[in-house]
Amino acid sequence: MPPIAQYVFNGIVTGGILALPTVAFSLLWRLLRFPNFAVSTYLTVGAYAALALNAGARAPLEAAWLGALLATGGVALAVDRIAFRPMRDRRPFSLAIASIGVAFVLENVVRFVWGNDFRAYDVPVTRAASVAGLRIGHEQLLILGVTVALMALAQAFLLHTRLGVAMRATADNPLLSAVKGVPTNHVIAVATFGGGALAGGAGVFLGLDASIDPLMGGGIIISVFAAAILGGIGSAPGAFAGALIVGIVEETGTLIVPPTYKTAIGFVIILAVLLVRPSGLAGSRS
Amino acid sequence: MIAYLTAILTLVGVRALLTLGLNVQWGLTGLVNLGAIAFFAVGAYTSALLAVGGVSLLLAWPAGVALAAGAGAALAIVALRLREDYLAIVTLGFAEVLRLFLLNEAWLTRGANGVTAIPRPLHAWFPSQYHLFYLILVLAALGLVYAALERVRRSPFGRVLRAIREDEVVAAVAGKPVFRFKVQAFALGAGVAGLAGVLFAHYLAYVEPNMFLPQESLYVWLALILGGSGNNRGALLGSLVLLGLLEGSRFAKDVIPFLTGVRLAAAQQILVGVVLVVMMIRRPEGLLPETPGSK
Repeated sequence: MPPIAQYVFNGIVTGGILALPTVAFSLLWRLLRFPNFAVSTYLTVGAYAALALNAGARAPLEAAWLGALLATGGVALAVDRIAFRPMRDRRPFSLAIASIGVAFVLENVVRFVWGNDFRAYDVPVTRAASVAGLRIGHEQLLILGVTVALMALAQAFLLHTRLGVAMRATADNPLLSAVKGVPTNHVIAVATFGGGALAGGAGVFLGLDASIDPLMGGGIIISVFAAAILGGIGSAPGAFAGALIVGIVEETGTLIVPPTYKTAIGFVIILAVLLVRPSGLAGSRS
Repeated sequence: MIAYLTAILTLVGVRALLTLGLNVQWGLTGLVNLGAIAFFAVGAYTSALLAVGGVSLLLAWPAGVALAAGAGAALAIVALRLREDYLAIVTLGFAEVLRLFLLNEAWLTRGANGVTAIPRPLHAWFPSQYHLFYLILVLAALGLVYAALERVRRSPFGRVLRAIREDEVVAAVAGKPVFRFKVQAFALGAGVAGLAGVLFAHYLAYVEPNMFLPQESLYVWLALILGGSGNNRGALLGSLVLLGLLEGSRFAKDVIPFLTGVRLAAAQQILVGVVLVVMMIRRPEGLLPETPGSK
């Protein structure tokens, strides 16, 4: 049996993958004021977009990953235009329901085209390195590195660019920032595209780390939600920390409960946070 | 043909009950329940397991309803103390965890094999026309619940629920204990869903975890949004239209030859999702709108 450290390491990789959709989910929730359940399905969209480019068009996985980023961002943007924009002024829960409908449609479009089979990318098989008794896969390191870089980029964008500041202003007070001349629709479009791209990129990682099937994205929605609540809705560093914690707890948790109950661990985290520390670890202002 | 119609109508009746339950939660009170099917499953499994264990149906059926309502109350209390959007994920998570539980805890639930030979009420009395009898039983239950929920909707209690849905701050300022009303409404809706599950289990005489997949909750939403949320007639009409949609698209494979099994199922679910989103954008009040001044 591998040491506990192995489970922790795998948990960090899982958490890294979770971090990307969690940031997207958390920031979009704060900006648009509804939990967008379609975000986790964007992982499926990204994974299959890369599959089409990699296994279908024989593109190297790096290029397919970039393509998946753009394609998923585009899909997210289209979904926002078609489904969410006409409903902006509705009760927030109506948008949440509509997002479930959207997720359902996207998942089944993927199923319609590719079927239910498990698939994998066409990448050379590499042997996992052994460091201090831990098995560390080449892909796992790559996933962690890219994830940390993307998280740093996202945080730098939010803190130091004009558009990032405008995004935070709109999230805080949409009316006031609109009055002050912030182009709300432009900000929303950029956030939607960026969020979709992050989730799509994470989908490729999830496909590399595990496998590709139509339910892969929908299957992590509870973990994403748990990470977002843990980090405090609307906080990018909080989402990162929350995702790492959820990833580690889920992986090490399988030492105690059967792996089939992995989803249940996320659910228990949600209940625990709601009961004990509802504002999240960092504490958000809402 | 008669047998097919009887079976279909019985299932429409069960679905209509489930939709009426969601209407109390979302239609009247504005509470999101993304795991409607889970409360249905709690009712079905509770009653089925008790009955198979030898407990009288007179006890097993109310127990199914009570446990579903209790689960609803407990989840609402945990989730609603804070932000209402958390109820969405708590109910979604509950539905998923419950399904895992039903699949894996075979010592209690018999796992993937499901519960078989669930006793049917008064089966010995109607040896030949049992399905017709059960249809009448389901329709009678539906009629009773419908009448009761109409009373609830017109009662002072129902008016408070609608006030909470429209603006809970105003309701709170008017001195209404909003939290308590919400928990009661959620539990009531969950109980109705539990009753639907009880009737379902003892009709099929068989339940298994994969009858309660997440998409089933979405179907309930579609029926409610189609018919018109907020009014009970809409919930009835929506269930009927939904059935037409689901059954009708099953026959599509005879017309469109290249649709294989997986593709047909996917196309059907794309249709369900698209209709839901389009209805929400274009006609959020549904086919039968809630009449504004209805008391």
